Amino acid sequence: MRQNKDDDTRIGRRQFFRTLGGGTAAAAAAVAAVPLTPTEAKAYDPGTAETRSRYRETDHVKAFYRTNGYETLKK
Amino acid sequence: MARMKFLCDADRCIECNACVTACKNEHEVPWGINRRRVITLNDGKPGERSVSMACMHCTDAPCAAVCPVNCFYTTADAVVLHSKDLCIGCGYCFYACPFGAPQYPRVGNFGSRGKMDKCTYCSGGPEVDLSVAEYEKYGSNRLAEGKLPLCAEMCSTKSLLAGDGEMIAQIYKERVIKRGYGSGAWGWKTAYRETIAI
Repeated sequence: MRQNKDDDTRIGRRQFFRTLGGGTAAAAAAVAAVPLTPTEAKAYDPGTAETRSRYRETDHVKAFYRTNGYETLKK
Repeated sequence: MARMKFLCDADRCIECNACVTACKNEHEVPWGINRRRVITLNDGKPGERSVSMACMHCTDAPCAAVCPVNCFYTTADAVVLHSKDLCIGCGYCFYACPFGAPQYPRVGNFGSRGKMDKCTYCSGGPEVDLSVAEYEKYGSNRLAEGKLPLCAEMCSTKSLLAGDGEMIAQIYKERVIKRGYGSGAWGWKTAYRETIAI
């Protein structure tokens, strides 16, 4: 049986939860105090090499245009 | 700078599906994915129309607007491409696309349907041009070879046009004038009513 209440240095159940609650509130306050620095979302930048033009009006392409417009395009 | 465009002359399309077959063969597209499809309206009825559809490489692409990982980019040729390394297969682009262009290798929910696949305008992807890695992920890069998309080059009735937008618009315009009975393009009368002849 407990002799003296003041001698008891162990943390009781109520004390434990009281401490925990206080700590959580302090942590929440600390988080709220830190200014939010949003990082801006960046779009995928494929670079100039990947987006460069690949289309060339080669003889092959010219032949396609010619045969598709054979009825209409001026020769 | 030339802007690459597709144009399907619906008056000429006979629904032979050669464009679909050519695309699948050229890029070795896996089962379950069709980068190009032929849509037929009023099938078997008078006024039947077929139109070959794929990614239309929109100027302000809605797929790119909704992509949560920003894996889309537009090349200098105005071709909309994407990086399969970044794609998470969420399917947002599929919902955003008005043409149903984005395709997935597997049926499933978020994240389980695999990397999105779509028409690349035969111009590969972000990998090095004409490399094995590029071919395995995106198919062949005909544009880098100085050619145009095979679907258009294969078209037996010369219905599907591809290439510089100015050039194919001119070809189509001249065809319309020569026909002399209006555009014939599907949706033309809906958009412009009966009053406009050409």
